[in-house]
Amino acid sequence: MSKEPKGVTREGWRLLIATLKLQQRALIMGACVGLAWTLGKVSVPQLTKLAIDRGIEKNGSLLLWTMLILAAAVIAGFFAGWRRYIAFRESRLTETMLRERIFAQIQGLHVGYHDKAQTGQLMSRSSSDLQQVQGFVVNIPIFVSQITMVIGVVIILFISDPILAAVSLFPLPFINISARSFSHKIHPAVMAVQQEQAQLANIVEESVSGIRVVKGFGAEAVRQARLNIEADDIQRESMRAARIRSRFLPAIDLLPSLGLVAVLGLGGHRVINGEMSLGGLVAFNTYLTMLIWPMRNIGMTVAFAQRAASALLRVNEILSEVPAIADAVEPRKLPQAGLAQPVGAVSFNNVVFGYDIGHADLTVLNGLSLTIAPGESVAIVGATGSGKSTITRLLLRFYDPKSGSIELDGVDLRNLTLSDLRRAVGVVFEDTLLFNDTVSANIAFAKPEIEQEIVVRAAKLAGAHEFIMQLPQQYDTVLGERGFSLSGGQRQRIAIARAIVADSRVLVLDDATSAVDPTKEHEIRDALATVMRGRTTLVIAHRPATIELADRAVLLDDGVIAAVGTHQELLATNEKYREVLAAWSTPQVVE
Amino acid sequence: MWSGGGRGGGRSVVDEDQKLDRSQTRVVLIRSIKMAGEFRRTAALAMFYVVITVLCALAGPVLVRHGIDSGINAKDARVLNMTVIAYLVVVAIAYVIGRLQYVSLNSAGEGFLRLLRIRVFTQMQRQSMAFFDREKAGVLVARMTADVESMSELVQWGLMQFLSSFLLLFFAFFLLLSMSWQLTLISLIVFPFLIAASVKFQRDSSRAYLEVREKVGANLSALQEGITGVRVIQAYAREDEQIRRFKESNRELFRSHLYSVKVSTWYFGLIEFAGIASSALIVGLGGILVHRGSVSLGTVVAFVLLLATLFDPVQQLSQLYNTLQSAAASLHKLFAIIDAQPDVVESIQPISLPATGDVVVDSITFAYAGSNKPALDSVSVVLDSGTRLALVGPTGAGKSTLAKLMARLYDPQEGSVSFGGVNLRDASMEDLRRRIVVIPQEGFLFDGSVRDNLLIAKPDATEAELLGALDRLGLRERFESLPEGLDTEVRERGSRLSAGERQLVALSRAALVDPAVLVLDEATSNLDPGTEMLIEAALEKLMVGRSVIVVAHRLSTVQRADKIAVVADARISEIGTHDELIALDGHYALLAATWNKSQPH
Repeated sequence: MSKEPKGVTREGWRLLIATLKLQQRALIMGACVGLAWTLGKVSVPQLTKLAIDRGIEKNGSLLLWTMLILAAAVIAGFFAGWRRYIAFRESRLTETMLRERIFAQIQGLHVGYHDKAQTGQLMSRSSSDLQQVQGFVVNIPIFVSQITMVIGVVIILFISDPILAAVSLFPLPFINISARSFSHKIHPAVMAVQQEQAQLANIVEESVSGIRVVKGFGAEAVRQARLNIEADDIQRESMRAARIRSRFLPAIDLLPSLGLVAVLGLGGHRVINGEMSLGGLVAFNTYLTMLIWPMRNIGMTVAFAQRAASALLRVNEILSEVPAIADAVEPRKLPQAGLAQPVGAVSFNNVVFGYDIGHADLTVLNGLSLTIAPGESVAIVGATGSGKSTITRLLLRFYDPKSGSIELDGVDLRNLTLSDLRRAVGVVFEDTLLFNDTVSANIAFAKPEIEQEIVVRAAKLAGAHEFIMQLPQQYDTVLGERGFSLSGGQRQRIAIARAIVADSRVLVLDDATSAVDPTKEHEIRDALATVMRGRTTLVIAHRPATIELADRAVLLDDGVIAAVGTHQELLATNEKYREVLAAWSTPQVVE
Repeated sequence: MWSGGGRGGGRSVVDEDQKLDRSQTRVVLIRSIKMAGEFRRTAALAMFYVVITVLCALAGPVLVRHGIDSGINAKDARVLNMTVIAYLVVVAIAYVIGRLQYVSLNSAGEGFLRLLRIRVFTQMQRQSMAFFDREKAGVLVARMTADVESMSELVQWGLMQFLSSFLLLFFAFFLLLSMSWQLTLISLIVFPFLIAASVKFQRDSSRAYLEVREKVGANLSALQEGITGVRVIQAYAREDEQIRRFKESNRELFRSHLYSVKVSTWYFGLIEFAGIASSALIVGLGGILVHRGSVSLGTVVAFVLLLATLFDPVQQLSQLYNTLQSAAASLHKLFAIIDAQPDVVESIQPISLPATGDVVVDSITFAYAGSNKPALDSVSVVLDSGTRLALVGPTGAGKSTLAKLMARLYDPQEGSVSFGGVNLRDASMEDLRRRIVVIPQEGFLFDGSVRDNLLIAKPDATEAELLGALDRLGLRERFESLPEGLDTEVRERGSRLSAGERQLVALSRAALVDPAVLVLDEATSNLDPGTEMLIEAALEKLMVGRSVIVVAHRLSTVQRADKIAVVADARISEIGTHDELIALDGHYALLAATWNKSQPH
């Protein structure tokens, strides 16, 4: 944690300050409110002292002093509440705004980035790291008022009795030091406990998800042994943390008592000798107790700030990432469809592409050229890893080719805005993601404002209407992770409906029917045929019946097009084509 | 995974958030104490330390009072010095005992949590498959993690804080009373308000907290959706819409945070006010009493000092009460798992199974918990030793269920399944799992090396046995060609291996056990073509010389079976060889015809 190089830490602080600048006014306001609280709070022991000395011992007006203390109580109470409110509001706001920036950034980052980034990491950047930041910001107003209070109290104590002040304040810096050192030591210990807990969670999760294997082989004892190890580890790490706590916490609790003892001993003699009033002694005592919590908190806040700075550094790694795929500086428009001018011409010109997987630069497409006329449908057939899906991804400009170009209606994809391009190309992925929203919203994903009728028509076309009507709330049923879960085939049909609604000039079906029950496939086949009519379509499929829907088929091999023709022609003439299809054709029993 | 339908329903033993009533809380408490039996001495010691620490904390103000009254006011320097020394001794004792208190309380507490983790897990694993069908995986994991961890805060400092706050208030009350009943009454003036305020605050803030928790959950899933769905979102150019939606959920979360601050703001102001106001009252009214001579000045001072130390405990008590309540609720849920009776029980005096034998299913009837429609309705079938039986039929008709019952993953409600003449109920689980092995559709891998994953089937297998099993399937070379051979770490869920390779591990596990009967659920979807052939070959070798029950999805598999049973509507509607069933021209003939159509040309 604290082992980071100086420059990096400074960068973290700079980020922290830049972030807080946005909320400058509110934070200054919070500090002012905090100062008002300090004023009320610091006056109490003085007033108590005066009340004891003048009111009780000297028969002065007790009522006056009591009322004054009450007034201080009102002030301290009022401003304490207000300060808390500002502190929480502002810290949550910092967190909220940063999270929105992260999310927007994530949405804009190119797919190549997401290929490498882990979901869990991105999640923890936007949750636990931001919590670290929030945990610091919330302390700012309190921190400011506590610092001023400590300064104010120390001044008052030194003015009223310098020697006594020096002696009684002696233990206080140690509280601060201990608190800081405690915070540094306990943090890694707590992290270690959490890590062990995560490992235990992993074992439980595996055992539950893999219960069929566990039961099937009677492997309960093996799993139990693994779990016991983790349970022991948690206990060991927790005890380590407990010992750190035991070393620091009682000391932090008790150090101030030493000051109180000093006040009683030294101050007591002074009162006996008439050098100090009893009220003064009580006030001294009260002031000392008032310093305990701030001293502790200041130490912890410094540690929090360090954690917040390094969290922000991690957050900034995401925020400073420049999207590799972006809109052209001077984008061109796609030609509009006219009666005489059909649209949807796609051409791949000598495209070379490979994914960057760290060390090895695997070339997937090796000078691929393919021209598809407007309204034409082409099936792409190839073995696993031949680059079929890569074609989809390049057409959507998830990646840019290493060399060569891809054109849509004569315009290089790189000269279009991303949103123009992606509105023009609709796609159904093999592995369909449904959003946590209603069926209607999922189907109308591309055009949220569209009428319900169109949604229903699309669902009917995609062969989804029937099962949707059987869902608990039909089209209003919420799907997704937190909603109703559909089967793979049902999800694909929703995705097909989604593509139908999108009504784009080019449609890509990337293994879009792979999970559909073969008996139901003919229904969808009809739907697909309807959708494909007059629309440029790329079909990536293994099932002969789906391939046959396309006007022609191309065989992809070694990153180039190895053969072109109709399905029947290729079946009849091309050995490799037959081979590829045979590898996929494990016949499925109708269930 | 098993594709069998008909599950769901059934009453869960681990219901979600419910508040415990008083008697339930008491039951939970008594049980926990009983369970913590082995830590009783440490716990008692910890308790003793807590009492000492509290007494030390209270001794401070008392000594100050004594110093003021008998030392300072009496102008007796010797008494003052003695008091100071006594105070120092008290601080020293408090420090030593304070350290011991942390260590002993934590060691008892963590020991208890360890025991709890192990017990719950043991009991969880003893449950039958029915239990795992009923309970969501996420919920079970949450029991073992969030629910146990919710107690760790309590163990670390909460319980100690609770006890010492309680004792502090308890002793302080008597202490105050013994010093001056008048001043005690005065200081009590604010307490009813304080307690009422704390109760209201707790109620409001726990409601607000639930709201926040819900919004955090929604926000996290919106976030996750935005990350995992980024390809679809970009493909449809819906980034702006998605950002807008995320903002909405994010702002909702912010508002819920703000609401929770709003309901608590007044409370913290009030606490601050009450703390100072009560000392104003002590000074004001106490001053009058001093004037009248009914209390000493030192007593007033002691009261002012003591009261300052009593505000924290009151606040803490009310906060910790909530923590305690939720811990009790967590314990209640955990005990529910510990108490759950496994519905597939091991025989106390098991009969050993013969090495081989026929599997006889004798008119079994079985319904999943919570379903009133039987999944199997008096089904009988015989699997002759060394033959293959394919189960086919529509989804949800009961073929997977039948396969599971034949391996005693469930017990039938009526009828029996026997192997070599021994009812499976009378066999020991260990024996049973050596004779009958189930291979699920997907090869599930655990975190660890390939070797670990193979040995899970037979932990005591020697290296020679392991390699022998791989040789028999012709897979040894394949596994040894992995980056670190059999020691290759498979990572999370075996993500370093392909789906096909994972299936190869599953087959090798079975080969290692060398069972008489294989229960096989065939994959419905395509695996990578590269390994497909290898799997087919390995499976074929694995099946040689064994009885096989296969839930079939492929024509090739069905054609290789000695007997085919069509399971429809919870019964076996047709049974016989392929040719016999084709001749019968029933359901199977229809299925076979559809198959042929979906074959490639």
